[in-house]
Amino acid sequence: MKTRSKVALATTAIVALLLTACSTPGGAGQGAEPETTAGGVAVVSLAGEPGTLDPSTANTFTARIIFTSVCEKLYDADDNLELVPQLAAELPEVSEDGLTVDIALREGVTFNDGTPFDATAVKISLDRHRTLPTSARKLELAAISDVAVVDDSTVRLTLSRPFSPLGAQLADRAGAIMSPTALEELGDDFGSSPVCVGPFAFEDQVSGSEMNFVKSDFYYDKDKVKLDGVTYQFVTDANIRVANLRSGDINVAERVNASDLPQLKTEAGIEILESATIAYQSVSINVDPATSSNPLATSVDLRRAFELSLDREAVNDVVFNGTNVVDCIPLPGQSAFRPDDVTCSEFDPEAARKILEDSGETLPLAVELMYPSSPTAQKTVEVIQQMANDVGFDVTLKPVEFISALEAGRAGDFEMFLIGWSGRIDPDGDVNDLVTSGGSNNFSRVSDPQLDSLVAEAASVTDTDARKDLYEQVLTRIDELKPNIYLYHDSWFLGLSGITGVEYSSDAIPRFKTASLTE
Amino acid sequence: MTRFILQRVITSVITLFLASIVVFIGARMLPGDPAQVLAGESADPALLEAIREQFGLNQPIWVQYFTYIGQALTGNLGVSTRDNIPVAEILLQRLPITLELAGLAILIGLVIGITAGVVSAVKRGTFVDYVATGFGLVGLSVPSFWLGLLAILLFAITWQVLPASGFVGFAEDPIGNLRGMILPATVLGIGLSAVLMRQTRAALLGQLSADYVRTARSKGVTRGREVSHALRNSLTTVVTVLGLQLGALIGGAIVTEQIFVIPGFGKLIIDAVAARNYPILQGAVLVAVTGYVLVNLLVDVAYAYLNPRMRLSGGSE
Amino acid sequence: MTSVPKTTNLSTFGATGSRKSQAQWRRVMRRFLKRPLAVIGLVLVVAFILVAVFGPLLLPDPNKQDFATLLQPPSLAHLLGTDDLGRDVLSRIASGARVSLLAGVLSTTIAMVIGITLGLITGFYRGWFDVVFMRIIDVMLAFPFLIFAVGLAAILGASLTNVIIALGVSQIPEVVRIARGEAMAIREQEFVSGAVADGARDFTIMARYIAPNAASAFIVQATVAIPGAIIGEATLSFLGLGVQPPMASWGIMLTSAQQFLAQAPYLALFPGIAIALTTLGFNLLGDGLRDALDPKEKR
Repeated sequence: MKTRSKVALATTAIVALLLTACSTPGGAGQGAEPETTAGGVAVVSLAGEPGTLDPSTANTFTARIIFTSVCEKLYDADDNLELVPQLAAELPEVSEDGLTVDIALREGVTFNDGTPFDATAVKISLDRHRTLPTSARKLELAAISDVAVVDDSTVRLTLSRPFSPLGAQLADRAGAIMSPTALEELGDDFGSSPVCVGPFAFEDQVSGSEMNFVKSDFYYDKDKVKLDGVTYQFVTDANIRVANLRSGDINVAERVNASDLPQLKTEAGIEILESATIAYQSVSINVDPATSSNPLATSVDLRRAFELSLDREAVNDVVFNGTNVVDCIPLPGQSAFRPDDVTCSEFDPEAARKILEDSGETLPLAVELMYPSSPTAQKTVEVIQQMANDVGFDVTLKPVEFISALEAGRAGDFEMFLIGWSGRIDPDGDVNDLVTSGGSNNFSRVSDPQLDSLVAEAASVTDTDARKDLYEQVLTRIDELKPNIYLYHDSWFLGLSGITGVEYSSDAIPRFKTASLTE
Repeated sequence: MTRFILQRVITSVITLFLASIVVFIGARMLPGDPAQVLAGESADPALLEAIREQFGLNQPIWVQYFTYIGQALTGNLGVSTRDNIPVAEILLQRLPITLELAGLAILIGLVIGITAGVVSAVKRGTFVDYVATGFGLVGLSVPSFWLGLLAILLFAITWQVLPASGFVGFAEDPIGNLRGMILPATVLGIGLSAVLMRQTRAALLGQLSADYVRTARSKGVTRGREVSHALRNSLTTVVTVLGLQLGALIGGAIVTEQIFVIPGFGKLIIDAVAARNYPILQGAVLVAVTGYVLVNLLVDVAYAYLNPRMRLSGGSE
Repeated sequence: MTSVPKTTNLSTFGATGSRKSQAQWRRVMRRFLKRPLAVIGLVLVVAFILVAVFGPLLLPDPNKQDFATLLQPPSLAHLLGTDDLGRDVLSRIASGARVSLLAGVLSTTIAMVIGITLGLITGFYRGWFDVVFMRIIDVMLAFPFLIFAVGLAAILGASLTNVIIALGVSQIPEVVRIARGEAMAIREQEFVSGAVADGARDFTIMARYIAPNAASAFIVQATVAIPGAIIGEATLSFLGLGVQPPMASWGIMLTSAQQFLAQAPYLALFPGIAIALTTLGFNLLGDGLRDALDPKEKR
């Protein structure tokens, strides 16, 4: 029945991942240092549009990139996804019962409009994140029942339940602290001209096209900031970003296509940084018989057959030039909570064919695969289609524009769905809401009490080893139920030309605090 | 004449009013919830509802329409759902860019098109004529987005002499601006020049064989004056062609801006469709349609003025 | 997209009876065949149709991936090379031709059938219906063709059927305008008034007298509309609003070619040449037909 062969496919993946992680920590500032120039404005070409720059409502990855220049957070995550203090002075101090969290704040810090940074400002920002009607941070901070000012440089958070992922949330937008003066002045329009603590200050923008930032005079660490400013441009077409990098019109191109890498690496004056990200891609299979009448909805064996038919390595080679990290679980290699030995089922078309033949279904077994239309996703599903059809499936492809795809996904209006998740520093963010009953991003509609209670328990435990053990059980249960077929973690590439000192780690967010232009 | 103009103005206003309804309803018929776009990965129902509330998306559609049109008449086109920036401000940033692109394209189209048309008409039946006619035919048959790809391939990738994109404001850096605009404007202008070439050639040949030109020739008028006289009489054709080509030009601008990443109207519209950004979509399409209707109106009037016989059959009424 | 539509008087040749018009069509044919460019156009169009109909039957599977032959330049094994999934570009061009043919011909047929019917009726009867109906057409015409098609395609969703519908509907106003103009002009002619006086029914007049006499204008419009629709399909597919993969469309091929401009420029070259040759063929054919149908405009 179970045709899962235990081959340590993922082990090689992890080794590869460790290698890449070792080869590119911290970015470009290593080796023979080129001549740098003081000042200058770095031109950065990003792959998306940021939308609003209000940390309470912001929802794009691009906005997260820009926030690293203009809007610092209480905490940040390092290359190993460990918390490090940013505007906080130390790691959070959690009480014995897990219900009180004290955060000591960095002193002598000033917002970019000259307003002093203190505990009151932190309280105002956190309360805004928690209560603004259009806040996208509400659920992230839902465990907090009160924020209190202990003294000028300490805030105390009171929780309604123990919640280990809180620190990770405060290392993202929910931990961004806004200038109370600017909030007073701009209110809901804060995002139109955001003022926080950051190495650069917002200057102006051409909506949907570019944003300009200038070096801040108020920044506590301004001695390290060498650039006069950063200009972010939004160019969705990767080919254009690369062409502009080649021609020297920009200094930084985000998310360079893997297919361009071999050539770019040989070009003088161009440097490539790699980030093995925490994001993943998976095929979600609708397992709810109420919304999907496909036999795959009710048969774990058929879902396993589908997985066996996929050669993850080949998908990776053909679509991503082999740059992604193939994997079969949602937690990334960097995570301290990842089980020590992950075994993935091997590509085995014979076994897949056998399961299908024994299933009693009429072959080929028709199934529809929905995907959010983009060149990369299209190529991925075309490869998947051919592989699955080889063993006896009859896959039809259904491209749907991204937002409609999400809606169809949430309504259960699909049979299979190729969908990614941007990944979270804390493992809770990679499973909770994604495989738990009724979760808003639980596209497969898997509903398993055992899985639900395991995920809930893992979030409330504070001890790392105990959590790691619980997440291993969570992952085993997911594998037994097989609602999602995890494919790989994305690797992203940053192209540089005439700039050095850019930080680019596993969150795939380029940081320009210490960057400088070269001759 | 006054009556004709008045009549055309009134029908244009009615057309625009109806078009605004079409745009408004059309935007809402796009599949996908704009609140969901803004909520991103989050699907918290309370958040979705708060976003709908913020942009008035939870009201009945006719309430939304009349609120919108009422504000629009006072110049308030709402705010972009993406970043809360007033739509009017965004449109004012983007409009000059597209106008520059279109203006340059028309300039290129006119220069190439009329020159080629005149030369091939005057040198009819010669090698030059065949080359020009061939250019006219090919220019008409090649889709502009393909020309755009070829231009990027040659100028940006192979020779690396011009940027593939990278719009800079004219005021900021005039040379950089023109460097960024020359490829897209040429790509956009070539289709236009092909049409203009064909029409100029045809009109000029017709004129040159007309009786009065023959009379003039018999009276010893030089060839140059003869051609310039005939050309002046062919101007109505050029004006009409320009008016009729405006729609194709706007369509071409959408694709061209997309390929060369020029932050103009076309890209704004495509991005707004993708983001379900109703206020931007409505504002941008309405301004584009208004411009289109206005130019058609002007062409009709100019046409009627230049050619009084056509007054009755001008326009669709 | 192409030259100035001539809404006036393409129809004036020809009278009533069908026997007479047969001789006229033969004359048109002779005039047409005397023009070398027109014949080249005809050859291109016929070649395009042959490739679209028979190409996919004779060539290898356009969706067969071969990871051993990714992005190979043209060779004897693959005359036009292979794409980023190792698929044969020639096969894909041929099946793309089929998509183009379907999109071009079917959308134009939709526009012609609906547009001519409505145009003839409204031009024949005039009155309040004409006033209201033409307001609607004016509104549709207020949107540039591509904006209208992009909007419709975005509302309907991406598929070949929807592209055909979107392109067909977007062409309707232009056809209505031409048909209406023809109906109004022909109606005033003596042979029609004669038939009216003889008590012929409205339908008979429209079907027997007006439509056949307007046929040449419709044919010319169709030769303008088909290449327009072919470019339209390619454009919509290029923008991601067109046909569904893995179905090959020239527009989709160009979208993916965009990612490999530097490594495999030939991927961008061939589909574009296919579009250009096809459109060129239809344009030449249209020019030839127009000249042959309207001998007065000799140049």
